[in-house]
Amino acid sequence: MASTQHHPSHVLLSPAELAYLHDALLLVPPIRPDGRGPNDFRPLVAETGILPGANGSARICFADGTEAIAGVKAEVERTVRRAGDDTVYLEEGGGEEEDVEEGEEVEEKGKGRGEKKGEAAWVELTVEIPGVRDDDSGTVFLAAMLSEALLADGELVGRLWINRRFHWKLYIDIILISPPLSYPLPLLSLTTHLALLSTRLPRLKSEGDEDPFFDDDWAAAPYLFPRSSSSKSQPAPRPPITLLVMAVGNNILFDPSKEELAVADVALAVSVTSSTSQTGKEVTKGKNPSNSPSQSHRSLRLLSIRTIDPPSRLTPPGVANAANAAYGAANLNNLGNNGQQQKAAEARTAETEAVEGVWRAPRGGANRAVLAALVGKVLEKGGIVDEVLDALEAVDLG
Amino acid sequence: MPIKILAPKPPRPLHRPSHHDTSSSSSDSDSESDSGGAHLDADGDIPMTSHPSKRVHLDLPTTTSSDTSIVTPGELITSDPQWMRGHGTYIPPSTTSIISSVAGTVTRTNKLLSVRPLRARYTPEVGDLVVGRIVEVQAKRWRVDVGSTQLAALPLSAINLPGGILRKRTETDELQIRTFFAEGDLLVAEVQQLYGDGGAVLHTRSLKYGKLRNGVFVAVSGMGGGGGVVRSRRQVWTMEGANGAGLIDVILGVNGYVWISKHVEASEVDKAAGLNNMEESVSATVYSSQNDRIDVATMREIARLRGVVMALVENGLRVDEDMVVRGYQEAVEQAMLSDEGIEDVYLGGERGVRLAAALTGAA
Repeated sequence: MASTQHHPSHVLLSPAELAYLHDALLLVPPIRPDGRGPNDFRPLVAETGILPGANGSARICFADGTEAIAGVKAEVERTVRRAGDDTVYLEEGGGEEEDVEEGEEVEEKGKGRGEKKGEAAWVELTVEIPGVRDDDSGTVFLAAMLSEALLADGELVGRLWINRRFHWKLYIDIILISPPLSYPLPLLSLTTHLALLSTRLPRLKSEGDEDPFFDDDWAAAPYLFPRSSSSKSQPAPRPPITLLVMAVGNNILFDPSKEELAVADVALAVSVTSSTSQTGKEVTKGKNPSNSPSQSHRSLRLLSIRTIDPPSRLTPPGVANAANAAYGAANLNNLGNNGQQQKAAEARTAETEAVEGVWRAPRGGANRAVLAALVGKVLEKGGIVDEVLDALEAVDLG
Repeated sequence: MPIKILAPKPPRPLHRPSHHDTSSSSSDSDSESDSGGAHLDADGDIPMTSHPSKRVHLDLPTTTSSDTSIVTPGELITSDPQWMRGHGTYIPPSTTSIISSVAGTVTRTNKLLSVRPLRARYTPEVGDLVVGRIVEVQAKRWRVDVGSTQLAALPLSAINLPGGILRKRTETDELQIRTFFAEGDLLVAEVQQLYGDGGAVLHTRSLKYGKLRNGVFVAVSGMGGGGGVVRSRRQVWTMEGANGAGLIDVILGVNGYVWISKHVEASEVDKAAGLNNMEESVSATVYSSQNDRIDVATMREIARLRGVVMALVENGLRVDEDMVVRGYQEAVEQAMLSDEGIEDVYLGGERGVRLAAALTGAA
């Protein structure tokens, strides 16, 4: 029905439905319409390697039929060299030669992070949603949020560095196959994460700054994000994920459906990554020497927080019985003039004060304590993000 | 467990009739040669020793094997003139071949060939009880989304005025049309009339019909594949909620829109008004959009019922009174046996599969 389709995140609900949903989600514990717990995600069906022509690909499907495909394609591209790139070593002062040697050593080990700095332009991300123009503001916003998370910590672009003259250019194409039945951000993010996990780049055979030359054998191609980390104590770095979290009152709900989002007080898109920083290393080292992914508690790093304008603010308010002209008209006729005055007075209160069972769109800003609790819950150690990352890691990369 | 990621189900192997699986034709079994007349070309090198019509007869899937053969729009079902075309098929001019116009399974009733679509929009019929949502308010009527190909119309003259007053609709009524139904409002109505193009005209001129509140809405689209709401004797019923919940109303719209809500008794004052006055008193509350107070137990059981309906649909079972009531009882029992107890109303994923298995096993 063409006329019922508005924005992907917009859903038409009656004031009575909104009031019911809001009341149910305000309870402790909340009763979600599909019966999930507040931290539960909808069950997913996931598979990888579905596009034979791509370097990496994934498909994720929700039980309600929303389905997304992400494909990652890599190309070798010449790095644009800027004046001044080569003068880095000279500026450092002191023994120039020693410095250069050190730099090379670090580079060979693959840990010279300063040397292997990538640029944001090395990753190009496009999102396509059926029935929506690709320059639609919602789609552009989605793509911007996803690529922002991918580029935020420089981990991904750092891996695209081949040598000082060449780099990989990554094209990530995300297509939502089904009409957007819920706000598609978490689905697209999880699909991108899986696609990047399954991405493999040909093994480099050339050395140094010569023109890159690759191994023909696809079986020998390493994963962009290695499956298990080289050092035992440190969990392997993972691409970031973006989760949609919303709050109703003091209740925090993960992976909200479209109906739930329609009554949200606050909705946030939180991007996190499992950190590979020095502190994270120490934490995991102390806790468990064995490298089983189910036990290792990653130290999570917050990459970005974006507020999503919840569609609840655009909903029309419900009409209280007291203010409803079509309510109790029979009684009104019987009561006559006196009753009419009384009703008018009641109507005024109904318009200014909250009436139980009547929907009112949330007004004003978000509660700061709720926002803090929301972010805190996402970053909780051994919490939801850990479980999501573990579950994604367990997907067979066929 | 916050997240559950499942591996995709392997595609269901398409079962073919045994005489089809010769070594030469096994490679093209994916092409359209698996149905009807086109099959004759596959072994066209053999002189027609057997009767072609008999072959077609063998090839046509009977109702027992209908779930194994899917035809797509434009696919030839048969070119034998002995068959009559039914729903979901057409015969191109100056030919005798029957071609599918939808994607679905072929069903045969004596000499009538029809294709049951896998997914279909609702086709209204006069007398159907439907649940609809107002999407547009016009001067003298509302446009209602009933999950059909077109919006249904609800004229201002086809609703009960508050208080049950019987009079001609005036300009005042037209001006305050939004006080009756506004955009987004849900209502239950009956199809009164059909236009030639398949569009429906609704009416709510009964105490059973009107605006919906105190509950949740589920859209169960797609009548094909065995799932979805089917026309049955009773589309509306009130059932007892388990675990201390009150009475719950369930409305299964024939169009696949379902409304589950708390049952509201007419108040004592209204009852005292007597039989003659009943229409007035009940319809006084009919345009209210204010929810009553609903206790937590009832809310939980409403969520459980919604889960049952979703589980039935996701597992391709029909949605009618019998299935919903039995599914609900089964779900309550399963919840009691589970670790989380009755507070756990989740019925998605594996639990839905378990519920469906229990229901079909008992049938």
